[in-house]
Amino acid sequence: MKFRKNLKEIMDSLKLDESVRDNIVHWHTIEEKEARTSALPEGIHPALIDALNKRGIGELYTHQKSAFETAARGQSMVAVTPTASGKTLCYNLPVIQEIINDPNSRALYMFPTKALAQDQKSEINELIQESGLNINSYTYDGDTPANIRQKVRKAGHIVITNPDMLHSAILPHHTKWVSLFENLKFVVIDELHIYRGVFGSHVANVIRRLKRICRYYGSDPIFICTSATIANPLELAENLTETKMNLIDNNGAPSGRKHFLFYNPPIVNKPLNIRRSATLETRMLAGMFLKNKIQTIVFARSRVRVEILLTYLQELVKHKLGPKAIRGYRGGYLPTERREIEKGLRSGEIYGVVSTNALELGVDIGQLQVCIMNGYPGTIASAWQQAGRAGRRHGEAVVVMVASSSPLDQYMIQHPDYFFNRSPETARINPDNLIILIDHLKCASYELPFKKGEHFGTAEVEEILEYLTEERILHQNGDKWYWMNDAFPAHNISLRSASQENVVIIDQSDIANVRVIGEMDTFSAMTLLHDEAIYLHQGIQFQVEKLDWEEKKAFVREVAVDYFTDANLAVQLNVLEMDKHRNLGSAEIGYGDVSVRAMATIFKKIKFESHENIGSGPIHLPEEELHTSSVWISFDKGRSGMGDERLEQGLIGAAQSLKHIVPLFVMCDPQDVHVVPQVKASHNERPTIFFYDRYPGGIGLSEKIYQGIEHILDETKRMVENCQCTSGCPSCIGTDTASESAKADVIKIINYFLKNAAS
Amino acid sequence: MSLKKKLNRLKPHLTGGQKPFPAESAASPLPVIPEEIPYSDIWEQESVKPYFFDGNYCLVREVTYPLMHKHGKYRFADAAEAVARWNEAGTSHPLSAAGHKPGDLFFFDTETTGLGGGAGNTIFLLGHARLTADRVVLTQHILPQPGAEVALYQSFLASVDYTTLVTYNGKAFDWPQVKTRHTLVRDHVPKLPAFGHFDLFHGARRLWKHKIDRMKLSAVEKEILGFERKDDIPGYLAPMIYFDFLERKNPEGLLGVIKHNELDILSLITLYAHLSFQLLGEDRARTSKEAFEVGRWFSYLGEREKAKELFQDIAEAKDSESIAAKHALAYEFKRVKDWKKAVPLWESSATAGEPIKRVEACIELAKYHEHHSKDYGTAAHYCEKAISLLNSMENGKKNGRVTADLDKRINRIMSKQVKREHISDGMIANQEVKSHVD
Repeated sequence: MKFRKNLKEIMDSLKLDESVRDNIVHWHTIEEKEARTSALPEGIHPALIDALNKRGIGELYTHQKSAFETAARGQSMVAVTPTASGKTLCYNLPVIQEIINDPNSRALYMFPTKALAQDQKSEINELIQESGLNINSYTYDGDTPANIRQKVRKAGHIVITNPDMLHSAILPHHTKWVSLFENLKFVVIDELHIYRGVFGSHVANVIRRLKRICRYYGSDPIFICTSATIANPLELAENLTETKMNLIDNNGAPSGRKHFLFYNPPIVNKPLNIRRSATLETRMLAGMFLKNKIQTIVFARSRVRVEILLTYLQELVKHKLGPKAIRGYRGGYLPTERREIEKGLRSGEIYGVVSTNALELGVDIGQLQVCIMNGYPGTIASAWQQAGRAGRRHGEAVVVMVASSSPLDQYMIQHPDYFFNRSPETARINPDNLIILIDHLKCASYELPFKKGEHFGTAEVEEILEYLTEERILHQNGDKWYWMNDAFPAHNISLRSASQENVVIIDQSDIANVRVIGEMDTFSAMTLLHDEAIYLHQGIQFQVEKLDWEEKKAFVREVAVDYFTDANLAVQLNVLEMDKHRNLGSAEIGYGDVSVRAMATIFKKIKFESHENIGSGPIHLPEEELHTSSVWISFDKGRSGMGDERLEQGLIGAAQSLKHIVPLFVMCDPQDVHVVPQVKASHNERPTIFFYDRYPGGIGLSEKIYQGIEHILDETKRMVENCQCTSGCPSCIGTDTASESAKADVIKIINYFLKNAAS
Repeated sequence: MSLKKKLNRLKPHLTGGQKPFPAESAASPLPVIPEEIPYSDIWEQESVKPYFFDGNYCLVREVTYPLMHKHGKYRFADAAEAVARWNEAGTSHPLSAAGHKPGDLFFFDTETTGLGGGAGNTIFLLGHARLTADRVVLTQHILPQPGAEVALYQSFLASVDYTTLVTYNGKAFDWPQVKTRHTLVRDHVPKLPAFGHFDLFHGARRLWKHKIDRMKLSAVEKEILGFERKDDIPGYLAPMIYFDFLERKNPEGLLGVIKHNELDILSLITLYAHLSFQLLGEDRARTSKEAFEVGRWFSYLGEREKAKELFQDIAEAKDSESIAAKHALAYEFKRVKDWKKAVPLWESSATAGEPIKRVEACIELAKYHEHHSKDYGTAAHYCEKAISLLNSMENGKKNGRVTADLDKRINRIMSKQVKREHISDGMIANQEVKSHVD
């Protein structure tokens, strides 16, 4: 008798078992793809050919060859490469070739995280060792010991680092890196698609600083970027580096057969159109694979969701697998913990991992067989990245996307063609966001004085330099601006987070052993670490005993309760200045600057499994204020023909449904854009829906919404109309409305905007 | 919308941009070189003269002191004397001036616009002093505005002719920062010359860390050198004062910083003399604690004989340091495997002195008896003594690993003991058999 089923057998049972079969609304098989290769390019150095041969490489994939040839012509490029397509050779070959030809040459590699940098160092060092050449490659990050830093600076041919390190440790100390900057031939930017939104806008400015310093030392490096599939890799690469790029997208790598299943949990309440919880379904599906010891990765959309699923799954297989066989993985875990999990996945000791999108990145965790997404990840690009975690080059793999009740998920799961055929989202950055730009102008001034007429990348900066002079940060003398402040500006500027301060989470369960277990940005902390909140870390429940907001410390203690907490955020909006505006009939679409004041108000305790509300409490935290860009749509109240109550309900419902569709059209995290309805907006006293960027000063998302508002409204209306419910459900307009007419009212309101927008 | 308005609105979100007072409108930028040097009358009174180079200028202040001038408890002539003594003694030491003339030493200190290292931290004052046959000549090169660094470094490099820098923490801070800023003007000025470097900060730390917590130069002056400053401007205010000077051009405040820098440099001369006499054993006022630290320093440097000599003297002196000196001396003997001399010394440091040293001595004695004298009983006795000492110490818990090692050692000694008994039993048995045969 066989105790365990293999992947094939489980797939068969998925097809047969009624309780599962009926929920698989779409079964898409992506056939395996043969490799497309081409002979090694001419002119490649014999030592390098030798090294490749030793690694069993006699030919290159088509995209690798194109990359080599482009670099040989001295041109910059962006290569679009799916997971496991041998992207590293796209840059390692040209770089090593250059260093062989001129041992003075230098290259700088930038990876979004330290872990990826470590991975790549081992990979490139293997290649170098096999070539028998004397090429030094080093990582340079916070972990680099002081005694080898000097060696890296002077003699590192290839310096592997991350944007944060470049920003705060290399560029401000460029005088110690003269031999790197004088001879810099290549800058490699891996995982380009990560550099979008706020982070990307920061990194674009770091690259402006890098190029400025290169110019000072007389070098002009070629940029080689690699990116996962997004709609606009070329545009993103060109915006990020402000350099003319070639697009390389002739991927020649093979891939195994992959089954992509769309799973919609069954309806449990017909009239309300309520489906069974996606989390519970994910638990069931993941359990099927894990019980059979098939390595599975589960992606969840939030940190809380990760922890909940982890608790469920660990419980489910407690007796079959050891307690450490299933692990969580997300931001907020300490690096050593993460490294240990990555290693366990590669070695096979860990069977399952529940992760946020943190594992979308190319961290090497080996080849997993199954990927389950608990909910649509929010973007098509992200969904493909996550799916890429299952099955790399050969063999079959299964990807299951379990839809939640959210409108976006339901929209996706009912339109598989949309998912499989539409080009993925566009990655957008706004390097000229004033706050970000000013931050980096300070750093740049610290590095080298600015001269009148000098541009910062494509940005004009004279007015800002004058402003900084007035603020007594710069000193103008003649036609130059000099840094004249006792601060070290890079230390106060974080590339990753909107607010500069993080809340440290301190576990005081054991008084004798109080320890820091993680950290969180202040804005998330308002709703996740308030007093009495249940905070989950590695599946362990902690209750927040005290959130010290002044000191930015949350003191937690381990507990065992059967609920989690969910907090509400009250938001007030004021229009400060209107930059653009279309007046269509009696409706108005505006774009400009707003002030947002947010305050966490109350939290609810929600029971596991049943998800019922079992209590609530107030949150006492100060209001946070945000100035950002926003787009708003308003119409004349009198003409809606609705009473106040219905109008309010309708606006809430419309905002709810818009909130889910917007991220689809503006490639962004659902948290990056907020949608807030107001029955009577303070600036025009009309019913209004606001959309605003979460980051101070805005990062261009609202502007994009302003341009495409008609399209967004149109798609939203279609989604609500197509929903199978009768009077509104969580899958279209949300649950905050209860009236019979709610759904009709939402459609009416959207129509009202639409008619006006179209006329 | 105007950028200004937007900037003001975003102010709360800007890092470091919040100022308690509204910014006044900036004064119209001054031309790179003013027609006339502002406040030149005040500068002149302070013996400051402009140095012109390549269409720009910096300010240079030069003052001299007679060699007989007393700064703290020494005259500057004593520093020259110290150099002579080094030459006579021939002692090898990182601060030894053997082979140098007094004029080769270059007492050096800077003032900067920020604290840490980094490309944007500007040096606005480079000060140095040297001893001549009859005087101390102190020269300060002052940056009148940030565009004038070429002139500043030209002036500095043209006036330096030295073999050895003498600084206070200059290895970690001043000199790397000079290199950083020099790199930015390196195409316009001479190269930085190679040099030796006496960093007195490390010497001060070695000798006086038992009595001074934060080894600031001002603390050393006060506690050790017998020099107290009056109305001194604390170093951390220097950046603010310099920024104010840039705006108002009035040297009033900056003169205080210049004076501060001058005193720092003069104290370096005194400190060098004092440290030298300590090391050479020429200071009769040297305390036995200081002598002991000097011995440790020589020991660290591998100057065995010198170290031994010092420890021996202190050990015989029978004062508070004699136990510590015996303990240290024992290690010197251990190094040359002179157990006969080492053991009695440890025996005395195992019974008196600091508890942690007593523990060390017990462990050393246990090792000796385990491996050399093979007296397992005594070895075990010292292990137990060490453990009980550890347990009675207040922070004894911190030494969990030491205790664990000791436990291991006891066990090993015991098993050796048991083994020996077996063997000797066997030998006795054999002898008995033999005698029967006989």
